[in-house]
Amino acid sequence: MSAIWTLRRGQPGYPPALEDLERPPEQLWGIGERELVASLEPGRTVTIVGARRVGEHGRALAASIACDLAGAGLVVVSGMAYGCDSAAHEGALVGGGETIAVLAGGPDVVYPRSKRSLYRRILAGGGAVISERPPGTAPERWAFPERNRIMAALSCLTLVVEARAASGTRITADEAIKLGREVAAVPGSVTSSLAELPNQLIRDGAALVRDAQDVLDLILGVGVAAVERTGPPLDDELAAVLAAVERGAASPDALALAAGLPGDAASVALARLELMGYVTTGELGTIARTSLRPPAQPNA
Amino acid sequence: MASASVRTFTLLGIEAREVVAEVDVTQGLPSFSVVGLPDAAVRESRERVRAAISNSGFTFPQQRITASLAPANLRKGGPGFDLAIAAALLACRNELDPSALAGVALAGELALDGTVRSVPGVLAMAERAAELGIEKIVVATESAPEAALPAHLNGGSSKDLRIVPVHRLADLRLLGTSAEPSYDFSAAPRPALAATAGRDLADLRGQPVLRRALELAAAGNHGLLILGPPGAGKSLAARCLPSLMPPLSDAEALEVLRIASACGRADASLASVQRPFRAPHHTVSTAGLIGGGTPPRPGEVTLAHRGVLFLDELGEFTRDALEGLRQPLEDGEVTITRAAHTVRFPSRFLLVAASNPCPCGRGPTHPECECPPGAVRRYQGRISGALADRIDLAVTVEQPSGETLAGEPGEPSVAVRARVIAARERAAARQGDIPNGELDAAALRRHVRLTRAGRQELARGYRALGLSGRGHDRVLRVARTIADLADSDLVDADHIAGALAMRRKGAR
Repeated sequence: MSAIWTLRRGQPGYPPALEDLERPPEQLWGIGERELVASLEPGRTVTIVGARRVGEHGRALAASIACDLAGAGLVVVSGMAYGCDSAAHEGALVGGGETIAVLAGGPDVVYPRSKRSLYRRILAGGGAVISERPPGTAPERWAFPERNRIMAALSCLTLVVEARAASGTRITADEAIKLGREVAAVPGSVTSSLAELPNQLIRDGAALVRDAQDVLDLILGVGVAAVERTGPPLDDELAAVLAAVERGAASPDALALAAGLPGDAASVALARLELMGYVTTGELGTIARTSLRPPAQPNA
Repeated sequence: MASASVRTFTLLGIEAREVVAEVDVTQGLPSFSVVGLPDAAVRESRERVRAAISNSGFTFPQQRITASLAPANLRKGGPGFDLAIAAALLACRNELDPSALAGVALAGELALDGTVRSVPGVLAMAERAAELGIEKIVVATESAPEAALPAHLNGGSSKDLRIVPVHRLADLRLLGTSAEPSYDFSAAPRPALAATAGRDLADLRGQPVLRRALELAAAGNHGLLILGPPGAGKSLAARCLPSLMPPLSDAEALEVLRIASACGRADASLASVQRPFRAPHHTVSTAGLIGGGTPPRPGEVTLAHRGVLFLDELGEFTRDALEGLRQPLEDGEVTITRAAHTVRFPSRFLLVAASNPCPCGRGPTHPECECPPGAVRRYQGRISGALADRIDLAVTVEQPSGETLAGEPGEPSVAVRARVIAARERAAARQGDIPNGELDAAALRRHVRLTRAGRQELARGYRALGLSGRGHDRVLRVARTIADLADSDLVDADHIAGALAMRRKGAR
């Protein structure tokens, strides 16, 4: 394990962004890339948060947006919790970017424990894990809202993916509003409980974000940076299956029926789309669309 | 003559062992004892033998009687020795002709009125008798068709064994005479090997990918996991599987019947032999699932031999029970070792497991699911170890819509089975008796030849989906089956993609 370092308030390296907080942490403990935190530019940093219990849809969203943002050179901050948080870290790693996890316990206390592999990969990927609590401290319940305020302060924009109205995600969003930081949310169906918070935030004035491009336009200005992610070309059959996923087919059977394909052809098409990166399949086999766009059809 | 001996059998697991029943009658205080490690049922045999002899027109000697069951170190159980002990006792007193009992084995329980009752395991006893060169086996009338099964299905030395069905103890007088009863093979035809068993695939409407997964499972004998909420047709799908598998061969039918016979259930399956379908409840004990107890009895894995073992609600089975599946899955048999002996039960079955996505069954994305993420992970984590290695296929299902259910019936089992049989024949011509689902890493390298595009597709899957070495092997096994169904020697990109779509998702 790498050495633990500290960043003390008032000394060089302490992120100035944290001074905006009502009660800035006196010091930060960290593991991993100290320079990444010390030279963090809030203007090139995005915090992505969301519910722990989300479906493949929320995970895929968080991961693909984080992946694209990381690809565009932004730092992704999140809390390493189950669901959206860890998906955001995973996505940033896939995108080849650096990512910072803010923990509620000490920086050496991996929580949740089952995210040990993610923790190691964040550090191996040139990222950092930080906390305002000393090494060895267990993450108490009250420490999570405290942690959320640091996540909100580190970046210029907090993006809410999927979350219920009353949740820890709400605390992070509220902190960001209090700090005058930008808040953005990905909208969802008005009947879905997981879209409660994002929809509410958008109604109250948060920016509506559909993909990483929208985030880039928000924080860097329209047209400054472009997410250029198009996948390999699709033949008619694959395009039909992808259209079925976009219409909401989430199980292989639903996909085959919607695309009018027999089971064997539908399976092949599904695997192809997954290999090309157009869809992902969750642990429970639920299919979700990623943000990857097919190339414009020259003969269309 | 003061002593006599006749041959009989005891059942050890599902195999018959020869036992010699010796009876000695001497002067002394009237008594009747049985030696040779008898269990309670064997000791009570004395009462049945005494009553049956008296009620059959013989006289029961008021002398000192000792019955010994050899070999003396083998523990013996059950009522199957009644007939042999009675015959030996009658031979001692020349009420039966001792020479008529030479070359004869007897197996039956006695009722107090002298009626001969059937005993479990007659099939294995008849097989053993034929192997030992015994000329005749005397069994209860209702056991005779069971005793004739080896001759029907296997022929060989079993054809030379004469089967003597008896109704009553007194019928033993006919042994060796011209009136000796004999089982007529021609009057009772061999059992039909039923082509269809269980539900028909036509009942499964919509769900084309689930149908495909069933076809692959049947064609390659791949373990299958069906994930989905209640009411998504998981159990119906599993019940369709036996009807997709090829009909039992004679040798396989004999194995199935041998197990049924040892459990005393053979008579029910005589008319037609089907691939078994066993669906033990998730509260089943480890011994009930794997086999065990004293004396060792076959468990569900053995009762499902050559058929389908369906574990519904996989996440609810105890960890011990699922861990116990390791040996039967890896070796195709269960070995139970006791101080005195070791028993082997065959257990080659097709494993089908069904699971809800989480403990409440609604799935983590459902608005009313309150299962914590940890519980969902643990639930899915049950699918580990040996089980994970044998489950090559996974398919996620949803509750079919109303219009799908009202739609046209799907392709019937017969049509799918024809393709399955062709694919299995293709695999057998290449690699012998081992189905694709049981190919190990070395065999895979030998029998799976990839096209260039197939190799690239697999490499892409390896990179993009993070397959592990074992996941890689599972994909190759399934791809081999897909290629067999497509009548192709080489495994192409489409076959690999079809297999990747059916991989277990959480498993890397």
